[in-house]
Amino acid sequence: MSAPQSVDIAITGRCNLHCKYCFYADEMVALRDLPTERWLAFFAELGGLAVQRVTLTGGEVFTRPDLFELIDGVIANRMRYGLLTNGTLVTEKVLAQFEQGKRRLRLDSIQISIDGSRAEIHNKTRPDSFDRAIRGLRLLVEAGFPMTVRVTITRHNVDDLENIAHLLLEDVGLKSFSTNEAYACGIVERQEENIILTPAQRRQAMHVLTDLVARYDGRIGATAGPLALARESERIEAALARGETGFPGRGTLSGCGGMWSKLAVLHDGAIVPCHTISELKLGVIGVDDFQQVWLSHPTMVMLRQRHTIPLQSLDTCRDCIYQGFCTGGCPQGALFFNSDINTRNPMNCYRVFKGEDPYYTLETGEAM
Amino acid sequence: MNTTEPTLYVVNPDVSCREEGPDGALLFNPDTDAVLVINTTGLLIWEALREPRDKAGVVTALESRCNNVPEDSVAGDVDEFMEQLIAKGFLGIYQGTVQF
Repeated sequence: MSAPQSVDIAITGRCNLHCKYCFYADEMVALRDLPTERWLAFFAELGGLAVQRVTLTGGEVFTRPDLFELIDGVIANRMRYGLLTNGTLVTEKVLAQFEQGKRRLRLDSIQISIDGSRAEIHNKTRPDSFDRAIRGLRLLVEAGFPMTVRVTITRHNVDDLENIAHLLLEDVGLKSFSTNEAYACGIVERQEENIILTPAQRRQAMHVLTDLVARYDGRIGATAGPLALARESERIEAALARGETGFPGRGTLSGCGGMWSKLAVLHDGAIVPCHTISELKLGVIGVDDFQQVWLSHPTMVMLRQRHTIPLQSLDTCRDCIYQGFCTGGCPQGALFFNSDINTRNPMNCYRVFKGEDPYYTLETGEAM
Repeated sequence: MNTTEPTLYVVNPDVSCREEGPDGALLFNPDTDAVLVINTTGLLIWEALREPRDKAGVVTALESRCNNVPEDSVAGDVDEFMEQLIAKGFLGIYQGTVQF
């Protein structure tokens, strides 16, 4: 691909919430927002490269007074867009603004995070926001917007998953929602209180979510976290029982395909491979040629070559019986835990999950 | 005598076209989210339709860019390809302005 298919863009570092697992908290404090004209010029550059879609995120996107001017800039440059928001600033007046021009037509989806079925649970990780978030969500659903909801599973809501599913699928009337879990990154590591699931809680969430998926006809999804792990675990154990030693395309550090389709931009204009690895700066919009960054920046080249590194070559994986089923996991965790992106992510390791790994244990969360 | 003017077609200005070297190009209609991968011949047709043309005009434009092309089969292939583009909203009918 001569350019990324999509670009994730943090258009602001301002946020009206202080969520306890925010991976972007440090950047929000340290970096400054770009003015409207810099973003509009960047959208024109993306349009010239025939980028298909952008996801606008933050910070909280609705804190930007020029949000709809930016959206119109996306539309004028022949792209579609999605929004990630906490939902608390969504009002009837905001909804009315989507009715102008092609703002509704070009909208892929709006994603809101809901972390509990009741305020006292949701607000433990997303303080003082449940009522406003649910009000915003209901407004959007009732107005027929393409909505997604993300539930991030923590120690606070692991016992509330059934109620959350009832709230979102039956009461609010969503078609589906997705789940993940809080990981050690961003502000999570500095919280006095540990919100990351214990191994027992993760297994509990896997069982409960698997049951809920069956009960709700597959209307709960996941690309990471306990539900994704439950599905992966089932596949691996079934394959092992059949005497298989791996899945096609596995066995290398291929846990992320983003470097073939996406780039991301921080709210100060820094170009990065992904918002979760914002320390790997590739350039600055309006200064560096975006297409050249995509095609030939040494970090992008390295990330693409990462796919060819066999797990067999890694000390942590050489003797692992699950090697042929594994992708090494998300590169962010590899960088976070090992300070080396060309390693495995222990948080995505099946042997770690099973408690059989000699190098890392989830019980203490410390390297051995 | 019937003097009906031939229908003129032109690319939808909202559709993006990303050229991918020798492989051809990727068309994307952001209004419908439709994507179409086209080969290098398709790309020549797309380029020809950046200005309004009827189907015969597209065939003529294509023949001027390609050598030794059998006219009959080209006309059929162009017609089929353009109907696909029209169905997906990539092409519009030109009547002073573009109609979809």
